[in-house]
Amino acid sequence: MSSAIESTGLRPDHVGRRYPATEPYVVSAAKIAEFATAIADRSPAYHGSDPIAPPTFAMVIAAQAWQGLFDDPELGLRLDHTIHTDQSFEWVRPLRVGDAVTASLTISSVRQRRGTDIIGLAVSLDTPAGEHLATASSTLWHTREDA
Amino acid sequence: MSDTAIIADDLPTVVRLAEGQTFGPRVIPVDRSLIVRYAGASTDFNPIHWSDRHARAAGMDGVIAHGMWTMGAALGAAISWIGDPARVRSQRARFIRPVPVPDTDEGTRIEVSGTVIKVADGLATIRLDVSHDGQTVLGRVEVQVTNPKEPHE
Repeated sequence: MSSAIESTGLRPDHVGRRYPATEPYVVSAAKIAEFATAIADRSPAYHGSDPIAPPTFAMVIAAQAWQGLFDDPELGLRLDHTIHTDQSFEWVRPLRVGDAVTASLTISSVRQRRGTDIIGLAVSLDTPAGEHLATASSTLWHTREDA
Repeated sequence: MSDTAIIADDLPTVVRLAEGQTFGPRVIPVDRSLIVRYAGASTDFNPIHWSDRHARAAGMDGVIAHGMWTMGAALGAAISWIGDPARVRSQRARFIRPVPVPDTDEGTRIEVSGTVIKVADGLATIRLDVSHDGQTVLGRVEVQVTNPKEPHE
């Protein structure tokens, strides 16, 4: 096993760290319909010839960017030690069938109290051409193993 | 509540919201099959949402709904009131309590009600109350939607 990168744990100076954008996710009519059914949202806007996605569908794409955070060996975060405590979204326009969407994660805040890291994340959803579509911001509480 | 408050179900499809208007409570049933469906639709396959064994190992009494299911379903209730999901500009929520989903035919249900707390600058802010079994499950839930201005604004 290589130990070239030691986990130093999350620190306040990780605020501002950005991860590469995910590969573009292409929104499909089938996935929109499946998601709308699963949240029991019966708006007709999700069906027909030009469907839009339910607003919180943004999370399906934003969550793909979380992987980069948990894969970052320097932070040493474990998903099974993490709870999602707060979520917010800001939408510029609805996602539509055929939109290609990338997700880019930035660490926006780090607070530490006793054995817990309180991490703020902002995931920007954009088209590959640079159109900003939405921001999905989350707060995660991570319990450190040495706590 | 003022005596001019409009009863939600009397509202036409899409209208200008005014401060103090309310809707609900709307009841949203949820059972295991819906939560499994949400796992697939969202690709969040955390086993605490489909396996009692894993949920108990994580300290729950059994399977719980995804917090994002509750947030999305609550927003859906607001959308069915305002008429058009394209009006939604922002939503925030705090995950306060889990929603346990028993392995029974009837499952369980959440209740969602809302109040317009602010109208300004072409936007209306709706505060949502989201509860399960009489207890609040999502806190600080606010939804901002576009709102046509009064002609004199």
